[in-house]
Amino acid sequence: MSLFSNTAVLLSKELRTEFRSRELLTTTVVFILVVLILFSFAISPTTEESREFGPGLLWLAILFAASLMLQPCFLREQNNDTLSSLRLAVSDPFSIFLAKLIANTLFLLLTELIMLPFFAIFYNVPVLPEFHWLLLVLSLGSLGISIAGTALSAISAQARMRELLLPLLLLPLLTPVLVVSATVTVSLFERVPIVKGKGIAFLGVFDVVFLTALWLFGEYLLEE
Amino acid sequence: MTKRIIFGGVAILLVIAAAYAAFFIAPEERTMGLIQRIFYFHAATAWAGEMTFFVCFVANLLYVWKRQPKYDWLSVSSAEVGLACITVVLITGPIWAHPVWGIWWTWDARLTSTFVLWLLYVSYLLLRTLVEEPDRRAMLSALFGIFAFLDVPLVFFSIRWWRTQHPQPVIMGGSGSGSGLDPTMSKVFFFSVLAMHMLAAFLIVERYILEKMKSELDFLAREVETQ
Amino acid sequence: MKNLDSVFAAYVVGWGVFFVFYLTIAKRISNLRAELDRLKNTLPRAK
Repeated sequence: MSLFSNTAVLLSKELRTEFRSRELLTTTVVFILVVLILFSFAISPTTEESREFGPGLLWLAILFAASLMLQPCFLREQNNDTLSSLRLAVSDPFSIFLAKLIANTLFLLLTELIMLPFFAIFYNVPVLPEFHWLLLVLSLGSLGISIAGTALSAISAQARMRELLLPLLLLPLLTPVLVVSATVTVSLFERVPIVKGKGIAFLGVFDVVFLTALWLFGEYLLEE
Repeated sequence: MTKRIIFGGVAILLVIAAAYAAFFIAPEERTMGLIQRIFYFHAATAWAGEMTFFVCFVANLLYVWKRQPKYDWLSVSSAEVGLACITVVLITGPIWAHPVWGIWWTWDARLTSTFVLWLLYVSYLLLRTLVEEPDRRAMLSALFGIFAFLDVPLVFFSIRWWRTQHPQPVIMGGSGSGSGLDPTMSKVFFFSVLAMHMLAAFLIVERYILEKMKSELDFLAREVETQ
Repeated sequence: MKNLDSVFAAYVVGWGVFFVFYLTIAKRISNLRAELDRLKNTLPRAK
């Protein structure tokens, strides 16, 4: 049981740290907004096109934003020298990862929900009709991004050039998430019921595979 | 030393023999003609490259488990050799595709996932250059290598199932599955696979010796400094 | 004999990549060996 209680305590710590300043959330929201607007200049989409390409752009924006947002995840602990005491405090180091990745998923999901109305207006896509499916795709996609991202931010925090390294390691690894979430989102907007179930199952598989890998190998990531 | 030279010699002879077989023994493919003879080199190299990445993955796991530097040497060696193989695949692929499809590159499942594979191992080697301390570098890169290898099937199937619905040029050949191949063709193909595996193994051994010497040198340099 | 140049180019470039890769390894090995010998010579003198 100590895994869950430890995780709960650490999670509340992560959330309190963030909501005290809301730095991460505000910058990420603004970043996604900027990217979405710049995309619309680059391709100046008609309604037809934006339904086809919009979701891909949205997910690309989310991916870039996440690779920036996950940056401070372990860096902050390292700069303040809190990581070793954190490791001493918990019985299973996996709870550190679990807390961080749940927090990151929540942050990502929150920014996505804030962004969604803007996206719907700018790209003229119907978000509401299949909202529950959209929410499911966003949750599973964000969870996948956060699992891989939390693990890799622990890696990149210990290297030189870390700000550049994290996106470089993370983005190729997230190819499956981008491919599947973008395709499923397109099918939601175009009201074609083809790939939804299979795509969502695939996202679930991605999440489970990387969560298991993190559970097995997480403790080695944090060694001194 | 002599063993290494013999090993290298055998590997090179096999590769030359495989090229000879591809040009003079394998029958001419009906629709593509001469250009199809790239297949024996291209697909065999791809198989060898995938095999070396698997070796890298096993070495990564062994390092995490046993913590002996030799597994780290093996994993960096096989990652570099695998990257060389996949680079060759990515170069010979377009040379083959151009006369057949009329384009150099298409975002087809196999091409795209090979490219992502290439990118993953480029970032693996990049990560290694950015961590100074040898034990940390070995552990962090081993863990990234494990994540990257787990990602490979996910990349492949996600692209295969969801990216090939869009209209695309007709894609033929390059399957490498061996099914539907003429028996002589498949014999020549598997001989080429053997040859490329020998070449890859030889290169891994050489690269491994280099890595081992590097760590010996580090050790000696530290010893000199302390005196 | 259509496309002979393409096939030829593919084999030459492919072998070229492996050859250059091998050359860089061999060069680095010989450099390291020289360095190792130098260090081994300095060590006994320092003792």
